[in-house]
Amino acid sequence: MLNETTLKQVMVTMLNVDVACINDDASMDTIENWDSLRHMNLVLALEDEFKVQIPDEDAGNITSYKLIKLVLNALLVAKA
Amino acid sequence: MNVPDQLLTTLAKGDATLSQLTQMIAVLEQREYPVRLSIGISSSATVDSLGTYLRKHALLAGVRADIMLGNYDDPIGDVDQFVRAGVGQMVLLPFFDALLPAFEAQLGTMSADAVDAKEAELRARYRLVFGKARALRLVWLGNFHRMNASADVGGDDVAEAVLARFNAALREEAAAFPNIRLIDTGDVVRTVGRQTAFDLRFYFRNKAPYSGAFMNELARRIAQASRGFGTRFHKVLVLDCDNTLWGGVVGEDLMKGIKLGPYDYPGNIFWRVQHEFAALERSGIVLCLCTKNNPADVDEVLRNHPSMVLRDARFVSKKVNWEDKPSNLRALAAELNVGLDSMVFVDDSAFECEAVRQQLPMVTTVQVPSTLSEYPRVAREIAELFLAGGVSADGADKTALYRQRAGAESAKAQFDNQEAYLASLELKVALARNVVASGGRISELSLKSNQFNLTMRRYTEAEVTRMMGDECYAVYSLNVADKFGPAGLTGVAVLRYEGQLATVENFLMSCRVIGRGVETAIWARIAADAVARGCTELGAEFIPSPKNAQVADFYDRLGLPLQSISADGARHYRAAASAFTPPDTSWIEISYVE
Repeated sequence: MLNETTLKQVMVTMLNVDVACINDDASMDTIENWDSLRHMNLVLALEDEFKVQIPDEDAGNITSYKLIKLVLNALLVAKA
Repeated sequence: MNVPDQLLTTLAKGDATLSQLTQMIAVLEQREYPVRLSIGISSSATVDSLGTYLRKHALLAGVRADIMLGNYDDPIGDVDQFVRAGVGQMVLLPFFDALLPAFEAQLGTMSADAVDAKEAELRARYRLVFGKARALRLVWLGNFHRMNASADVGGDDVAEAVLARFNAALREEAAAFPNIRLIDTGDVVRTVGRQTAFDLRFYFRNKAPYSGAFMNELARRIAQASRGFGTRFHKVLVLDCDNTLWGGVVGEDLMKGIKLGPYDYPGNIFWRVQHEFAALERSGIVLCLCTKNNPADVDEVLRNHPSMVLRDARFVSKKVNWEDKPSNLRALAAELNVGLDSMVFVDDSAFECEAVRQQLPMVTTVQVPSTLSEYPRVAREIAELFLAGGVSADGADKTALYRQRAGAESAKAQFDNQEAYLASLELKVALARNVVASGGRISELSLKSNQFNLTMRRYTEAEVTRMMGDECYAVYSLNVADKFGPAGLTGVAVLRYEGQLATVENFLMSCRVIGRGVETAIWARIAADAVARGCTELGAEFIPSPKNAQVADFYDRLGLPLQSISADGARHYRAAASAFTPPDTSWIEISYVE
């Protein structure tokens, strides 16, 4: 099961934003700091934190909080 | 332990996740540091995360590092920027596969002439970079390495040959500049392993080839080679004897019983390690002994043991007595007139090491590992403490050799200034106006570009198409090419016409092509177009965003007079169209497409 608090903490750290910014509507479009470079580090940090390997095709596309949750949940279920 | 010390311990362990690492660095950087330095990073790959790892290793050395990132593949512009900002040192990482798109793959079909031309361009470019970088205290220059293994099992393919040649070229060009230190990035790849060093997912998307493991090792080596960013200056190596220089205890086993020699285990390990220490002594490090023994026993080994490498004359001072080690170390420091912090102490006894660590924490204490096969590796680490940037005795000879060759090279240098270099690139810019077929790419570039983007206005493809059909707008795009091939559509300017005023609504470029004058070459034509439409005035503005600071003074550099600065930092420019003369870019051939 995905720990959303941890997820939010990783996003806050890697995107360098306030925790209030990370909600269900958060995405690359709504968060100015979330550029392609930070996105890359975010993906690496998520992999590190949740001990999963995000597939190539998802890595570039999980550009919103909801999509990240979706992909991480699927990966964690597959791992369990 | 207080919280920051605990964090440092965790940081040193190196098993934190990237998110934890980022957090720890942020917390630790809030403290005051006696040493604060700035490091610029310039690369033809995206290597931003190197900044994180440099900050980490600086903190471990007790230093606060501020990182300034350069643009993508613009070392000349980066050096200018770093020098202006007062940056002290720079990490310069040219990336082999990015010399041309998919360079490693292209090499299989490239003509020898094309490779020669690339090498000449590489030399000319980096000669300029190195010349400008003389203003920096230190430049860490990573050499080239491959991303892909050779398909040839013997490792002998075209890419390997070109790699060796280009690395020799970099070394030769760098040899004339004493502030340049080479870092063997190929060895970093070997150390972390090729599989671990790269993350290709982000190479093809973001030109970011390296993994965190690679960056961490590279940063660690830079910290090591700079002696903890200038915080350590080790000069003296103090060695225990029993189970440090030889196996066994000479007082009990006698000279015949101790283990030391080139062939048999475990004597071969001590013999090997002695050679490592002897090499250090030869390169100018002071060796001393500090051991609890009878002087006569030790002297006999130093003089008469057939396999002893470190003979008596190699030691500047010997403390062979039954005093405690901290007292002996203090006495040595006084005798040699050096600080205790310039000493490295090696001993096999956990008890002795702990005593020194407790009483003399400024001495760097290294314990001989209990797993003896690890000892040669530890000896190498000890050597790294002394040798800054891999400079050793034979390294110095090599440097002199390279220097001669570089001197000969620079005597026949074709390019003595940046303009001549740029001219050699045969830059061509095709400036296009309202080309509907390019709408998609124009929109894409406007959505993607962040750094070179003057107002951050972004356009959908529909908006671009609409503006192209609108009398009040013109959308310019520019295609850049040089003698090595096309860079594609890499710049966009949107003009809005209102009566006699032509305003640049936005100007943006891809990072790939900046620093070659392309950004200023197009404006004479754009201004002439505006005049032809009956405009008498040109207007432009810079609107700041978190990412576009590098172009804050772009219009100033272009020669437009600044009218006003708004409270939000926006800069407004206005010029008479007839009086506007952009800087000279005669090395660029401009063509015009409508």
